[in-house]
Amino acid sequence: MSASHQPIRKQLMRMVLLTSGAVLLLSTASLFIYDFLTFRQSNRNQLEILGKAIAANSTAALAFENAADAAAVLTAFDADPHIVAAALYDRDGDLFATYPARLAASTFPQRTPAIGGYGFGGGFLSGIQSVVEGGRRLGTLYVRADMGAIDARLRLYGGIVTLVIAAAGLLAYVISRQMQRRITEPVLELARTAAAISTRRDYSVRAAPTDAHELNQLTEAFNHMLAEIQQSEARLHMQLGHLSLLQHITRAIGDRHDLASIFRVVLQNVETTLPIDFGCICQYDADSAELTVTTVGATSARHAGPLGLAEGTRLPAAGNGLEDCVAGRLIHEPDTLAVPFPMTQCLAAAGLRSVVMAPLNAENSCHGVLIAARSSSQAFSSADCEFLKQLSEHVALASRQAQLNSALQQAYDDLRQSQQTVMQQERLRALGQMASGIAHDINNAISPVSLYTESLLEREPNLSERARGYLTTIQRAIDDVAGTVARMREFYRQREQQLTLTRVDLNRLAQQALELTHARWSALPQQRGVMIELQSALHSAPVEVMAAEGEIRDALTNLIFNAVDAMPDGGVLTLRTGSEGHRSWIEVGDSGIGMDEATRRRCLEPFFTTKGERGSGLGLAMVYGTVQRHSAELEIDSEAGRGTRMRLVFAPANSSVAIAGLPSAFPVTVRRLRILLVDDDPMLIRSLEDVLSTDGHQVVAANGGQAGIDAFAAAVRQRKPFDVVITDLGMPHVDGRRVAAAIKAGAPATPVIMLTGWGQRMIAENDVPPHVNRVLSKPPRMPELRAVLAEFCGRNADTETVITDQVRA
Amino acid sequence: MAVLKRRRKPAAMLAALLLGCVLGSVAAAPVPGEYQLKAIFLFNFTQFVEWPDDAFAGPQAPFVIGVLGEDPFGATLEEAVRGESVGTRTLVVERYRHLADLRPCQILFIDRSARPELAAPGRLLDRRGMLTVSDAANPPAADTIIGFINENRRIRLRINVESAREAGLTISSKLLRPAQIIGNPGGDP
Repeated sequence: MSASHQPIRKQLMRMVLLTSGAVLLLSTASLFIYDFLTFRQSNRNQLEILGKAIAANSTAALAFENAADAAAVLTAFDADPHIVAAALYDRDGDLFATYPARLAASTFPQRTPAIGGYGFGGGFLSGIQSVVEGGRRLGTLYVRADMGAIDARLRLYGGIVTLVIAAAGLLAYVISRQMQRRITEPVLELARTAAAISTRRDYSVRAAPTDAHELNQLTEAFNHMLAEIQQSEARLHMQLGHLSLLQHITRAIGDRHDLASIFRVVLQNVETTLPIDFGCICQYDADSAELTVTTVGATSARHAGPLGLAEGTRLPAAGNGLEDCVAGRLIHEPDTLAVPFPMTQCLAAAGLRSVVMAPLNAENSCHGVLIAARSSSQAFSSADCEFLKQLSEHVALASRQAQLNSALQQAYDDLRQSQQTVMQQERLRALGQMASGIAHDINNAISPVSLYTESLLEREPNLSERARGYLTTIQRAIDDVAGTVARMREFYRQREQQLTLTRVDLNRLAQQALELTHARWSALPQQRGVMIELQSALHSAPVEVMAAEGEIRDALTNLIFNAVDAMPDGGVLTLRTGSEGHRSWIEVGDSGIGMDEATRRRCLEPFFTTKGERGSGLGLAMVYGTVQRHSAELEIDSEAGRGTRMRLVFAPANSSVAIAGLPSAFPVTVRRLRILLVDDDPMLIRSLEDVLSTDGHQVVAANGGQAGIDAFAAAVRQRKPFDVVITDLGMPHVDGRRVAAAIKAGAPATPVIMLTGWGQRMIAENDVPPHVNRVLSKPPRMPELRAVLAEFCGRNADTETVITDQVRA
Repeated sequence: MAVLKRRRKPAAMLAALLLGCVLGSVAAAPVPGEYQLKAIFLFNFTQFVEWPDDAFAGPQAPFVIGVLGEDPFGATLEEAVRGESVGTRTLVVERYRHLADLRPCQILFIDRSARPELAAPGRLLDRRGMLTVSDAANPPAADTIIGFINENRRIRLRINVESAREAGLTISSKLLRPAQIIGNPGGDP
């Protein structure tokens, strides 16, 4: 164990003993040496004095060569027992006399020793003294003393020194043993305190004060240091707590992406852990310079009402001392009573005496304010403020991120919506183009049917009632086909420009639809051995809406087809109408397979079908188009396995408008006309020729555009010009436009009527080609054609024919 | 330097002594080198005796060692004093064959040959300031202050302190210590 590891008591004792021992040793040794040296010197001096005296006495003996007398003189050395030998030499250096007598002369140097003076050597003190009388040297005295005196002196001194050191050491030990307690006790007390602190980490322990001034200073300094450490530890602990809370909150808000949730979790943590008595977060609107209380902490809610800080409350930043805060500075009011603003006064009145308002700053702008309040005044330390400042920065960042995230999500949704819209439009456009082509061909194809049916109904007097009924149904079906074909092209249109709304009765349309689809929902299932029960629950009174009759009927037909298809194993087909307040509706329901959510969402898309090869994917799309054109609503209520209900909801019709179809009947008086008919479709030429001839007109048909131009030119040359030209638009080689241009070039006054499968579209788009007086769509409707002929040629009629249009059912 | 000078002197004296011994033995003298030693003793007296100032003719006057009668020393006396001095005074050896030749001197060795002259009436010697020395065994006069005694081949001194006092001389006690004392050393006559 080294000295530094021994107890301080032992060290101090050892130090005192060593110090006193060293001091004593040094002082006694110096005394001893001094005394030894002086004693030697005095011994030497004594010997010298003695030698000189004897020498002086022996001058005469030497001068007059009296050896006996010289020996007698030398006996004076008897006085000093330590003088062991002496001798006189004469002036020639020969031994003259010796002392003591018992010593043989041979023991002395036989000649005068060469070197004079007194000195120590060979264990003796010896001296060589000249014997001089009156300035003349008469001889030499040699004297020798042993060291006995010095040895005795040394022994004596050694004993004294040993005794003194021993006694002084003992005394020093006893005294220091008593005195050191006053020093070691406080030091040991300090050491014990320090040890207790280091083992227990309890910085509240204090060392007891002592009466020694410096040690008391030390103790006080130690205690002061302990107090500092205690405070520092407390501060550190609090900072750690804050950091931990901040981390906790940061992690919590990192998991959330909506502002409300972020604010709630922040307030909840701050309320419970910081803690605070009231906390809320306000969002700031820089334009209006107003704060809106967005979230109030869960336990703060009881304060929020009385404070006027309930969620949704708007606070002007100005006048509440919040201008600095929204400018980005943290505001700490240690005493709300002392601040005159309304909000702080409210806080004070609610018993919240101190408040911190931390701005939520992100990207150099303030998004809001975090308000934290406590009941007692001066309740927020600077560490609390710093924590709230950091927290508010985190919250601001998180809320900013949430906002950005939300905006991003919105943009993404918009983009997806746009993409879907564009896709839909693209589909509709493609569909429209295709539909136009189909419509053209269909219109051409059904034109003879329409013309002949109409002609039969008008002109055949002997028709049986049954034949008339069939013909009427055929005519209605043709009309619906024409209408359907006309609408096919309009899928992509937002509005049906030429849609003509009339007052229609939904009950009547429902019945017509059921009649039209009778085979589908009754005969065909029965052939497969499946029973579909019809439940018709029509409103008792007519349900009148403003609608395009054919379109609604078509839509209903489609819905009925779908309903039947949804019930492959049979079920109940429901048709209901109703009117309640400003809503009138017609509903087609089934008890079939229903639609799941994905199907329901996509069912209105064109070409989306669940029927495989059998389905066109256009049925519901057309229904939807119809609904949109009518500014009506389509309500779909479907559940997989439970069936589907499709409801068209209309605004009720204006009561003042009469229920309309085409003009019921109007007599058209037309003179016999010479008509040039130009078309490339022989069926159409023939049927139209038949019908117009039946009306009494003279019809010349030309197959193809060039043939038409040639026929018109030939007639002009023969001075039998045509009164009117009816031409198709789309023909190979020379189309209707060129025909019209050629005719107008030859005879500008001759009316040109264009009859085309594109007709409705051209009318809708106001795309009447030049040189054409009127565009009529295929299939041609006789009343329409007659009216146009009458308009252009009526005045010059030389043969009048009364034509009565049939009222359409 | 002084030490060296003095050393050289004994070396010379030693040589003279050896020579004297040789000569003495050849001459069959009673004591070989006796007078040589006595010559040294004469000079040594200058160290142990104080002369009054009026013993000298003047401050610069030399210190005179005189020999009255026949000279027993020969050259040894000159040798003994050569180069020596007493205080500031130079040492001079003078020889007086007869009493009439006597001149003031500080040490006077009276040879036995001068005894008849001294014994003659009326021939009083003025002894003031003069240290008279003679051989004691053969004294020229009873009242010489110092006498040489030959004893066991050694020379001893006999000092008549009374005579010395009469002569106004002060003899060092050191000199008295190895000597035989005659007369009353302490009291007045």
